[in-house]
Amino acid sequence: MSERTNRIFKAIADPTRREIFHALILASVALPITQIASNFEISRQGVTKHIKTLEEAGLVEIHTQGRERFCKANAEPLTQINHWLQFYAQFWDQSLVKLGKHLDKKA
Amino acid sequence: MEDCIKKEHVFNHPISKVWDAISKEEEISSWFIKADFKAQKGYQYTFTASEEKGCISITGEIKEADPYTLVYTWVVENTDTVTTVKWELIEQGDSTKLILEHSGISAYPGDSAVAMFNSFSGGWADCISELEKFLN
Repeated sequence: MSERTNRIFKAIADPTRREIFHALILASVALPITQIASNFEISRQGVTKHIKTLEEAGLVEIHTQGRERFCKANAEPLTQINHWLQFYAQFWDQSLVKLGKHLDKKA
Repeated sequence: MEDCIKKEHVFNHPISKVWDAISKEEEISSWFIKADFKAQKGYQYTFTASEEKGCISITGEIKEADPYTLVYTWVVENTDTVTTVKWELIEQGDSTKLILEHSGISAYPGDSAVAMFNSFSGGWADCISELEKFLN
């Protein structure tokens, strides 16, 4: 698994970061950091740090306009996590097929 | 973010038979994975599959084992992330509905996710094909 996926896992492991990301997804437009920070009880620096971690994972894109920095969510990297979940989903599917065969044999 | 895998399946077998298959050591070892397992709350179980193939092991603790609900934690070798597997059986006439839930998967932090993914992508595929050969 790549360094990139590692960063995605790290980014979504924290509940505050998940909340920030979720808020940005719901907004679906770029929001200034000040506006995002006003919705959280942690400091603006704290929010900025979380956003930086999200940016490193590719989950947030930041661009500067005038004196304000705008953030926009990008859900695309989550497909890698989805891949992970699919792995387990497939594993359980195969296991249930085996369980079914086992039960059928044992009349 | 979806953090729980949920599978439902109806088996045309009585509930006690399905319960035995998912809770008895010798039956788990036969269809699923070689098991050191007792359906007793607090028991520390180990699942191991043909080590010479480089297969990983899974350990955990039985959290609940009252017919017909079986809950255990699921910790993959070389990781310390605890996920939870729940098997729930519901009687439907002569058939049995199984609801399987595997939760906590997104809690895998970076490093252990890497270790786990690496062991799975190689070793696990071998385990599954071994098991398939055995059953056929």
